[in-house]
Amino acid sequence: MILPTTTVGSFPKPTYLLKARSRYARGELGKEDLLALERRATQEVIRLQEEVGLDILVDGEMYRGDMVTFFAENMEGFRISGLVRSYGNRYYRKPIVVGRVKRSKPITISYFSFAQGLTSKPVKGMLTGPYTMAEWSFNEYYGSKEELVLDLAQAIRVEAVELERVGAKWIQIDEPAVSTRPEEIDLAIKALGVVTADLQVKTVTHICYGEFERIYPKLLELPVDQIDLEMANSNYDLLELFRRHRFTKEIGLGVIDVHNHLIETKEEVKRGIKRALEVLSPQQITVDPDCGLKTRTWEESKAKLQVMVEATREVREELAGA
Amino acid sequence: MIATAVGNYPKIPTPPGEPKLRRAIARFERGEISEEDLRRVEDEVTEEVLAEEVKAGLDLLTDGQIRWEDGQTYFARRLDGFSIDGLIRYFDTNTYYRQPVVEGRIRWREPIGLRDYKFAQTRGERPVKPVITGPYTLARLSQNPGEQSFADLVMDLAAALNQEALSLEEADPPWIQFDEPAILRHKEDFPLFAEAMEALTSGLKPKTSLYTWFGDIEGIYPQLFSLPFDLFGLDLVRGRKSLELIEEVPEGKGLGLGIVDARNTKLEEERDLVDLIKRMARLVPPEGLHINPSCGLEYLPREIAYQKLVLVAKATRRAEEVIK
Repeated sequence: MILPTTTVGSFPKPTYLLKARSRYARGELGKEDLLALERRATQEVIRLQEEVGLDILVDGEMYRGDMVTFFAENMEGFRISGLVRSYGNRYYRKPIVVGRVKRSKPITISYFSFAQGLTSKPVKGMLTGPYTMAEWSFNEYYGSKEELVLDLAQAIRVEAVELERVGAKWIQIDEPAVSTRPEEIDLAIKALGVVTADLQVKTVTHICYGEFERIYPKLLELPVDQIDLEMANSNYDLLELFRRHRFTKEIGLGVIDVHNHLIETKEEVKRGIKRALEVLSPQQITVDPDCGLKTRTWEESKAKLQVMVEATREVREELAGA
Repeated sequence: MIATAVGNYPKIPTPPGEPKLRRAIARFERGEISEEDLRRVEDEVTEEVLAEEVKAGLDLLTDGQIRWEDGQTYFARRLDGFSIDGLIRYFDTNTYYRQPVVEGRIRWREPIGLRDYKFAQTRGERPVKPVITGPYTLARLSQNPGEQSFADLVMDLAAALNQEALSLEEADPPWIQFDEPAILRHKEDFPLFAEAMEALTSGLKPKTSLYTWFGDIEGIYPQLFSLPFDLFGLDLVRGRKSLELIEEVPEGKGLGLGIVDARNTKLEEERDLVDLIKRMARLVPPEGLHINPSCGLEYLPREIAYQKLVLVAKATRRAEEVIK
């Protein structure tokens, strides 16, 4: 099938889970009780995606606070710092690298297996990439960033290989920090190469918008099958770049603005996909939102995904009829 | 030499310290406390931050920008012509702000920071400097979907923020600091930037400083130093290249040396900091040097931010002795 649909990874956490997480943080709730609620929420996320009719699912990241902290908490070499504000009244514990980084136990495996066990559709294995892990942690141990990034790459590689072994058909390694520091893209490419070297399954990386002109077409050297990009949020500006220099990989085409609570119209989304088809082939494209949905409400997420799936279906039909 | 801060400071302490402000904002949002109650907590936390800065040994304080959600909306919400949209990343950091959107002609309506500045000034045991986000950076970090050109927007903002700065004169600040990190990412805009800086500082009597961060000044040196400010704040951590670059500083102009990394928890060696200060003291007399972190300290947990300020103050005092 052409134009499969998916999402970037995160879904909004239901209120009961948010409450449970803060009770857990205060020591008022046990780990098992929290896990049970995470599983309940994961079931709801899987059900929502099946109802909407997405093709490639995610587990919704109900167990994660922050995409970097979660991995750091489960690796050796990190200490979790005091609270740092990310925006508004939201704070997170930013990791500090204080020793040699290593993966000494499975990180996402049980969450992946649980989610995949709930559906016959493929669920993506979701990892945070080595460059982003390094960029978004404090570093008190390594003398150079490169050493840190490459040790992280080894650790994440082990997790990725394990995800493949337990049945992941798609593995996504998010590198949103890549576009924020264009001058270091070679390091990010090298590190991601370490992670994906032994994988046979489909690999994806999600990159945020950033200073895109400065990393394209270099970006195409990232050693993955698919690069997932925000398009809706920037009015599909990137297509102009692709016109000048062909996009040679598969693309995750972000057609839903996740930072806006207004629901896109079906026509708007169809127009976006069709604009993309002027410079990309249908075989290259997977359709998804710009980014994770965790800042939207459950209802907004569902409505936006419904529009996206419906618009994609219509474009598919039009292409088949043409 | 003056030991100082660049701007913001962590709003809550590390647990088990009490996250007073975080809790108050949450309760205010749920309608459980009044706006007045929230303001009182903001005041209390501001007093704590001022006291921490004094205890750390700073000579010139900021109010820690405890009331600022971020450097953009603090101003954009109170100027005419802006609405506020969704979250967007702040430069290359892992922090976000709500992006202002230009909806119409930008105009200054009323004093924005005056009340907060007066509060800090009366509570701080040392001089306090007010901080204003500059017009170029505010324009760059906003969306401008309308017909108005970017240059016109920058100049309208320069005029509006000039009025804001003039309104602060009533409180007789020793310095007014303007923040313009965005120019380091768009050096090709220097001619427009220079024009905006003229308008921004027009008619101002207090001493003024222009702070930049997250980059070096290659490409805008030496022109930068001819802009109408008394002091230029440089991030010598992420813009270390500026160190090699600067051969001369015009007489009467000072530098703000951002030598302590405000984005990493690792604590610098005092000796290295003193060496850096000594090096720059060859270009600028001691009274023209401000020593500070590389940018605002809100990227760090509170207790580390405090330790970074202690380092700034210690290195400043030590460098003074050595240079004497």
